[in-house]
Formats: sequence, C-alpha cells, structure tokens
Amino acid sequence: MEGVTKTLLAVVGVLIILSPIGILLVWNYSDAWGEWDVGTVEEMVGHRLPGMERLSEVWNHAVLPDYNVPGWEDKLHASIGYVISAIAGTALVLLLYYALVKSIKRRSISS
Amino acid sequence: MHIPDGYLGPYTCAFFYLVMIPVWYRTFRWLKNLRPSQVPLLGVLTAFSFLVMMYNMPVPGGTTAHIVGGTMIAVLISPWAATVSLTIVLLIQALFFGDGGITTYAANVFNMGLVLPFVGYHTYRFLTRRLKLNEVTSAGIGAYIGIVTAAIVAGVELGIQPYIQPGYCPYPLKISVPAMAIAHLITAGPAAAVVTGTVVWYVRKSRPDLFEMRAIDRVRG
Repeated sequence: MEGVTKTLLAVVGVLIILSPIGILLVWNYSDAWGEWDVGTVEEMVGHRLPGMERLSEVWNHAVLPDYNVPGWEDKLHASIGYVISAIAGTALVLLLYYALVKSIKRRSISS
Repeated sequence: MHIPDGYLGPYTCAFFYLVMIPVWYRTFRWLKNLRPSQVPLLGVLTAFSFLVMMYNMPVPGGTTAHIVGGTMIAVLISPWAATVSLTIVLLIQALFFGDGGITTYAANVFNMGLVLPFVGYHTYRFLTRRLKLNEVTSAGIGAYIGIVTAAIVAGVELGIQPYIQPGYCPYPLKISVPAMAIAHLITAGPAAAVVTGTVVWYVRKSRPDLFEMRAIDRVRG
C-alpha cells in the first residue's frame, strides 16, 4: 500500500476515534431536515400521514439504529455506541467494497 | 440528505430505481477498469465517505447537516468511483443503521452518488480547464456546488410529493427546497469545500502521479 492510502487510512482511524463529535456538537438539535420519524412529522403538520406510516415500516431491522446501541441514551454511552457504529460501519463498507471489486474482476476475466 | 422510508411515495421510489438500474450497470462496468493500484485508495475513500457523514454539524434553526465526500472521490479518481462508493455506503447505512431507507435507496444514491459527484467534478473541470484556476480551489468550489445541488434535488423530490399523492412528505416545494438548500449553503457546503480542498492539496503535493493516472483513464474513456 503506498503513502497516500496509508495516510488516508490513518485519517480514517482518527475519524473513528473522534466520531462522537458528530453527535455531541448537535446534542440539543433535532434531526436533519426531512429525516424526522413519522410521529414527529404528524405532530408538526397536525394530521396523520397514512402513506408515510406504511412505508416507514418496510425496514426495521437496523442493528445499530441512528448509529447507537439501543438504550444507550446518555452522552457517554451514546458516544461509545457511536464509536462502535463507526468501527462496524467502516468494516462493513470495506467488506462490501472488496466483495464487489473481486466479483467484478472475476467476471471480467471469465468473460 | 438521507431521505427515510415513507417520505417518497411509491411512484417516485419506482422512478428512481428505474433511473438507477442503467446507471448501476454503467458504474459496475467502469469498476472493471479500476487499476490494481487504485483499489486500496478507493476502498479507503469509501470508508472516509461513510465516516464524514457521521459528523453532523449544527444548522442555525435547529437542524443538522453533514458532508458526503463525493466530489473528493470524483476529483481523485473519477465521478464513477464516487458512484461506486456511495452505492455501497448508502446501502450499509440504510440496512444496518436505519439512515436513509430501502424504498428511497435509489433516490438517495441518485442524489448523493450521482448528482453530487458529477456536478462537483464538472464544476472542478470547468474551473481548472476553462478559467485556469488551481486544482485545490477548483476542487473546493466543486464540492460546494456539488453538495448544494444534490441537496436542492433532494428538496425537489420531497417537495413534489404533496402534488403527486398525499400521505407522504407533507411539505411542498416552497418549504422543502429552501430548507434543504440553506442547510447546505451555510453549513455542509463550506465544510465540504474545506475538507475536499485539503485532501486534494495533500494528494496533489505527495502523489502528483495519481493525477496523471486519472488523466490517462479519461482519455481511454
């Protein structure tokens, strides 16, 4: 692995360790615009949204919802949950990336 | 900018899956041409993109925004490389972290993995080639324009819902577009410009040959 990639890999490590900044800086803020859960939106507009209620249920198997371990609500636990999520996410992203690169390279050799 | 399940109605979701199928086909074909020496670099940049999106930044008014890293990948390797990265990152985010959605996955890849890097990259190219601006400034401006454009496109997708079918995103264009645009004009845009400019400056300084490699790829198509 050459220099630039190594340096960027070190940056990835630093980004994982410092990731709690990404929640602590916005602790008292609401979600990003348009990313509220259904109940919040319905409360804001004052009526029910049947389509949104139905479609929002299609996937609720997220292991670390909102990049946190469910139930870890206080700042310290949420920060630890966030670092765990950063590590898990980085690993999953790299796994999928190398699986994709491998499968495509193999297909291009065989064809 | 991750549109969750439920905000876009079935017609909009289906439309973006139809748009993205040929784009994904083209993207994966492009991936065959990725040089062995570029494989680890794109891997690290994909991880980088996942992580920078975890850095939520406060937006005045109480919401948050984050950068994406798409223009950075586009400038360092190719806009198609950014599409590869964001296709992977957004899938992992939707499945494991509940960020974004399954029905909205194609729309989210369209916004952050296609509009963002291609607008960012072509802005950068225009500035370096036509206006003879330096690489670092051009990449920064490209990143800024790329993320703001993608946010506006996401705002349009959300804002057309009340006109198509009620029951999904309840906010019309005149609310959704300014909300998405402002968050990225004042918070995520400047951050994207600084981060992209810094990384491009560093890579340009330490590995100018990476830029040459990219130029050869472009001639080959």
